[in-house]
Amino acid sequence: MSETVLDVRDLEAGYEPGVPIVRGASITVDKGEIVVVLGPNGAGKSSLIKAVAGLVPISRGTVLLDGKDITAAPAHTMVRLGLAFVPQTENVFPLMSVEDNLKVACGILERRQAPASIEEMYAMFPDLARQKRSAAGNLSGGQRQMLAVARALIVHPKVLVLDEPSAGLSPKFVAVVFEMLAAIRKSGVTILLVEQNAKAALAIGDRAYVLVEGKERHEGVASTLWDDPVVAELYLGQRPLKREAGGAA
Amino acid sequence: MSLQFIVDGLLAGSMIGLGAIGVTLTYSILRFSNFAHGDFMAWGAYATLVCVGAIGALFGKVAPIAPLSFGWPLILGLIVGMAFTALLALLLDKLLFSRLRRQEQAIIVVMGSFGASMALRSLLEFVFTSRPTYFSRAIQIAMPVGLGIRITPDQIALLFLTAALVLGVHLLTTRTQTGRSMQAMSQNPALARIAGIDVAGVVRVTWVIGAALACVAGVMIGVLVQIRPLMGFDMLLPMFAAAILGGIGSIPGAVVGGLIIGLAEAGAVQLIGAEWRAAVSFIILMAVLIVRPIGLFGVRER
Repeated sequence: MSETVLDVRDLEAGYEPGVPIVRGASITVDKGEIVVVLGPNGAGKSSLIKAVAGLVPISRGTVLLDGKDITAAPAHTMVRLGLAFVPQTENVFPLMSVEDNLKVACGILERRQAPASIEEMYAMFPDLARQKRSAAGNLSGGQRQMLAVARALIVHPKVLVLDEPSAGLSPKFVAVVFEMLAAIRKSGVTILLVEQNAKAALAIGDRAYVLVEGKERHEGVASTLWDDPVVAELYLGQRPLKREAGGAA
Repeated sequence: MSLQFIVDGLLAGSMIGLGAIGVTLTYSILRFSNFAHGDFMAWGAYATLVCVGAIGALFGKVAPIAPLSFGWPLILGLIVGMAFTALLALLLDKLLFSRLRRQEQAIIVVMGSFGASMALRSLLEFVFTSRPTYFSRAIQIAMPVGLGIRITPDQIALLFLTAALVLGVHLLTTRTQTGRSMQAMSQNPALARIAGIDVAGVVRVTWVIGAALACVAGVMIGVLVQIRPLMGFDMLLPMFAAAILGGIGSIPGAVVGGLIIGLAEAGAVQLIGAEWRAAVSFIILMAVLIVRPIGLFGVRER
């Protein structure tokens, strides 16, 4: 039995009180896994991981990171606790250089550690090393995504949480981003991601959840999930609620 | 035409620029126009005055540091005044601005700052009356430095002080982790929080820097001109014009903007007449907003 890093239990969350978008969702992420959260538009996927990252108010349920309750932790303390979040858009500081973007993220590290950590990221993402003096706003879409991921990874989080890393990228860059995530996992990083691009995400994932109307309705091994008829039904929204109870296991 | 306006303009520009740094920081990081910023200048000047008075009462008359018109009591008073003004700004933020910010509508905070400005100004008038007062009534002889320009030792000292402070703040905001956090907050507050930046801490640093520099500007006005409860309010238009001319969020921009406005004002006084001084900031402000709203050093949002 592998060790659970992130344990989300019966989470209810939403921007406005009394209007939950996430309605009792439970997911777990084990050490070293890539877990993918899929679901139709408006299922609450992004809200789920934003709530986990402290960005959407939680009204019920718990979030445990390495067994520690982080449900009520403010967003700015999350990286220190070991949860690094990469937003879908506007995920770099556009007017700052690539290097300064990384330096800002080193705020929680010891001062002496910062230069080595930045070099480590440059070794992992040579594209960024080549452009360290350019403003992050001038990077291409794929490079910007790399910088956003490097910004999150630099603190060696226990879990890396990504909100649709392929959104808005050209197909060429989508492949690059998913290769990058696979490589990051190989280096031992635990990853939770939400994705619209289900096929690409399942290709690199270990397990996946299908979220519908704010609750996980199905869980399975990533490689075979797409072939499961229940998933197709859930995805296409064909009144799955009754049958799903038996088919989900 | 005499070149004396260059010295006058640089001095006025220094005061405007030091004030504009606070305006531009508050605008880019806290996202509102703080109309009470001028009153920080006046409060800083009066706090320094009170401190100098207290030192005088304790130690008797202290000889000035030749050839300046002031001695160590003013320097110590300035440091105390800067700390006091910074505390005043932090207190005002805690009592007023932080509550109004929670409503997430800039206009509410701006209106709040209008109210704070009036209250601060009236309190000064209540305590110190509206009569002008001075740090020193000693007359300084201006030394000729060629080309028909004259300058007093006080003026030289204050120009150097301004340069040192501007350089210090520039290095702080571009080379330190605190400064990078401030830049990050101004560019994307949501991401700054995600990246682990303590937003409340950055807000505090912003107030402290802005208010301390406002105090220095106020004391400069007090040393070179006079101290009045309205002295800061009168600086509002030139300060905002300087911050916008330089490009909101840019510290070098605020200072360059201040110097340009100071020089333009002094030039206009000589060429057209003193009654046009106030119009200069207004004309420059309008021209910038129409021709290049992002200012000299501003960058378009991406």
